[in-house]
Amino acid sequence: MKRVKVLKSVLVSNMQRAQENRREFDRMNSLVINIIASPGAGKTSVIERIVEYFKKKRKILVIEGDIRGQIDSKRLAKLGVDVIQINTVTACHLDAFMTAQVLPKIDKKYNLILIENVGNLVCPAEFEIGEDYKLAILSTPEGDDKPLKYPLLFYLARVVVINKCDLLPYVDFSKERAKKNILRENSKARIFEVSAKTGDGFGKFCSFLEKELNAKKKKG
Amino acid sequence: MHEFSVTKSLVDLCNNEAKKNNFSNIYKIYLKIGKFTGFSPDSICFYFEHLKPNTKCKDAEIIFSEVPIRIKCTDCGKESEIEEPILVCPECGKMTIEVISGREFYVESIEGE
Repeated sequence: MKRVKVLKSVLVSNMQRAQENRREFDRMNSLVINIIASPGAGKTSVIERIVEYFKKKRKILVIEGDIRGQIDSKRLAKLGVDVIQINTVTACHLDAFMTAQVLPKIDKKYNLILIENVGNLVCPAEFEIGEDYKLAILSTPEGDDKPLKYPLLFYLARVVVINKCDLLPYVDFSKERAKKNILRENSKARIFEVSAKTGDGFGKFCSFLEKELNAKKKKG
Repeated sequence: MHEFSVTKSLVDLCNNEAKKNNFSNIYKIYLKIGKFTGFSPDSICFYFEHLKPNTKCKDAEIIFSEVPIRIKCTDCGKESEIEEPILVCPECGKMTIEVISGREFYVESIEGE
């Protein structure tokens, strides 16, 4: 019997594949955002607002991750945006290999690729898919304590969008507490307050994305 | 439930390492798991029992070693070990924190023949 050192991450194959995906996305000069939130937080509605803001000036692709069906893809296709669906069937998150499978379907250059992960605050956080960064959405009915209950996602997300701010008069949610809790996981997080229902806050949020797109362009 | 795919990766990784070292059987897998990861040892053990038959891991057990969360405040320079991942310096209260450990999830070694 012999004991040998291994010192390899269990996620090594996913991490390597994510790096290859990232190189591929960089070659296309696309800004790639991995959007993570719980089911019903408004991921698709936020994406719709981003698409509406940018569709005349930028080429956008949405990659939709869902366990089953094409409900969100069909919804987004109505806006005239290109959409590719991934059905994970049983998996509760997208991984780098599932993302790699759609790469051959990307037949033109996009400025912005929005990847809507499976609705879940836990599992998607651990799996890199080749994104530039993670964007977490926290909706007000979920409660302002969620960053502390799901710390990993908020630690890893570069941008946090607080959605459904139009519901603030009706729900027990303090924006100040939410922001404090987000910053206690990630003091560098960029936080935006929006309502995908009314469109409030998207001017500021999309101006930020515009700067990110310009920065990516310069880098490429 | 994401531990299923993770445990599959663990079995694949150990099988490859066994091949490299000419092991026909692995008996122990020493796994380091940080307290600031989303992985549960119980779930990994559960899936491992289902995934290990007909592999070089069939007689293996996993020895978990938990890595605590350690943070460093870039403002006051103090290093601390924390129980919960709330990234605030216990010394000065600032949020200028670097996570030094707790995100580990790797196979430290395997034992076999």
